[in-house]
Amino acid sequence: MATVSDDYAQIDISTEEKDKLVAEVMRHVLFKTHQTAGCPIKREELTQIVTKNYRQRVLPALVIKEAGDRLAATFGYEMRELQRTRAPSTRSGRPSQQQVNVDAKSYVLVSKLDPEVYSKYVEHKEAAHVSGFAFVVISIVHLSGGKISEEDLWHQLRRLGLNESDENHPVLGNNKQALELLVQQRYLLKEKLSGPEGHSMMYELAERALDESISGKLKDYISQVVSTSTAAEVD
Amino acid sequence: MAPLSWRHHTLLQALLSRGPLSERDFHALFSAISGGKNPATHRHLFNDTLLKINKELAYLQFELRAGINQYDGTVYYGVVNNIADEESKLGSKFSVPQIAFYKGLLEAIVHEAGNDGSITNIDALNTRIENQVVIADASQGSQSRLPTSITNFSLSQKEKTLNELIQDRWLSYTPTGKIGLGIRSFLDLRSWLRSNDIPSCEVCNEACIKASSCPNEGCNVRIHVYCLKKKFSQRKASRACGCGTEWPRLEGEDDGAEDVNEPEEDQVPSANQHSRTRRRGVKSELVEENERAGPSARMTRRSLRSSKAEAVEAAQEVPSAAGPSQSTRASKRRKN
Repeated sequence: MATVSDDYAQIDISTEEKDKLVAEVMRHVLFKTHQTAGCPIKREELTQIVTKNYRQRVLPALVIKEAGDRLAATFGYEMRELQRTRAPSTRSGRPSQQQVNVDAKSYVLVSKLDPEVYSKYVEHKEAAHVSGFAFVVISIVHLSGGKISEEDLWHQLRRLGLNESDENHPVLGNNKQALELLVQQRYLLKEKLSGPEGHSMMYELAERALDESISGKLKDYISQVVSTSTAAEVD
Repeated sequence: MAPLSWRHHTLLQALLSRGPLSERDFHALFSAISGGKNPATHRHLFNDTLLKINKELAYLQFELRAGINQYDGTVYYGVVNNIADEESKLGSKFSVPQIAFYKGLLEAIVHEAGNDGSITNIDALNTRIENQVVIADASQGSQSRLPTSITNFSLSQKEKTLNELIQDRWLSYTPTGKIGLGIRSFLDLRSWLRSNDIPSCEVCNEACIKASSCPNEGCNVRIHVYCLKKKFSQRKASRACGCGTEWPRLEGEDDGAEDVNEPEEDQVPSANQHSRTRRRGVKSELVEENERAGPSARMTRRSLRSSKAEAVEAAQEVPSAAGPSQSTRASKRRKN
């Protein structure tokens, strides 16, 4: 910890000023996470909180790092860094090579609690339909090799009784918006492709779904579902 | 910065994820994560836990606080934000006209404070929102310069917003089927309510939204129904108001139903009385005073009213989505 205080000393900032900045970043992350239902927060946003009053170049990185440490210590949240994958829009129908943009870092809050404790005491049961929908959609895309056309995705969802045109689903409300939220939350990447038959929309797994904490669990759950349904068929 | 344990994290994450929890649920959660220790019997441990959490939350200007739903007397725990700043404005998922509508409803409900503390569904939908928007230049033509989102805020949008506010517990349906404040409003706007010229309860000194009034029309004394039950639960307790009028019996109130000899919390023998009373400050003042309130209780002095401007500013704040919510500490309680 001594090195951190040395860093602050070098850039001539008092402990009080530093604490104020760290608290501001923490508050921003917590409030924004709630407002956007867990959408990633751009690093650039957090940097601006610091740079609006301070010019030191290394300061934002130090403040963001300490805010992350404090969120872990106080709330048990990990401020997980996501590296945004940006697929440049392509004119041809060929799948594009995903490019990682170094500047496009973002953060999400992830609970560090034991999964059993989390699901038993923390998980908001009334919001279970949202995570259930996310699991189904991500699984479909995953089983399609990480990429699927919009048409095929809705074809699969219709088999579950979810219609693209339904704006008043009893649980999800507007189905199209529910899918769009997964794009905003960076579970999915939406890309417009131009082919011989005109434009088509493609969905692929985005950085949050590709994060090993999610993809690992996803594979486990899929195998559980498959083994359960196989066992049921045998019976 | 001493890190909190996974137990503290569980309590905090549960409140942030699920919103305010009733005392029963919060105690059950505490009991489950602390190896079956019931907060009622392990008050020391419970208060210590909350104290430790609040020490850490103070860094962020947050607070884990208890508050009472005045319509049914249920105690709730929630995490609230104590300052209004740019960050806290992000906490809201509501639009400008929706927030204006909430403010209008809040005003209408507070106008009924001390009586029923609720309004009918029709009254709620007829609430005007135009005067809830602050316009920089309040000249004569200002009405025409209201944002279209305000002027075009339809009845169906009001109905949708009303349902959302009830769902998010900013508002609630009272036992009589009318619309009143929700637990989030009681937790968040506590200081605003206290500083907004709303009659205070004679027993606990909190703002009376839903309360029982003294039968004497000339007397302004008001007491929460749950405080009233507590105050008159002992046989020896005089049922007379300060003005000398006899307070009528409430429905379901037995004549001295509770045991007179049962000690009040402050009188419970304790090996470490000093540390016990010191730690009791952790709990919300509201709950603390309700537990203490009785015929022998020390009366707390009415809190100093802060300026009207400060109260209005607090009211301008935005309801937050699910997590830490907005409230400005407008006044601090002074104790005798």
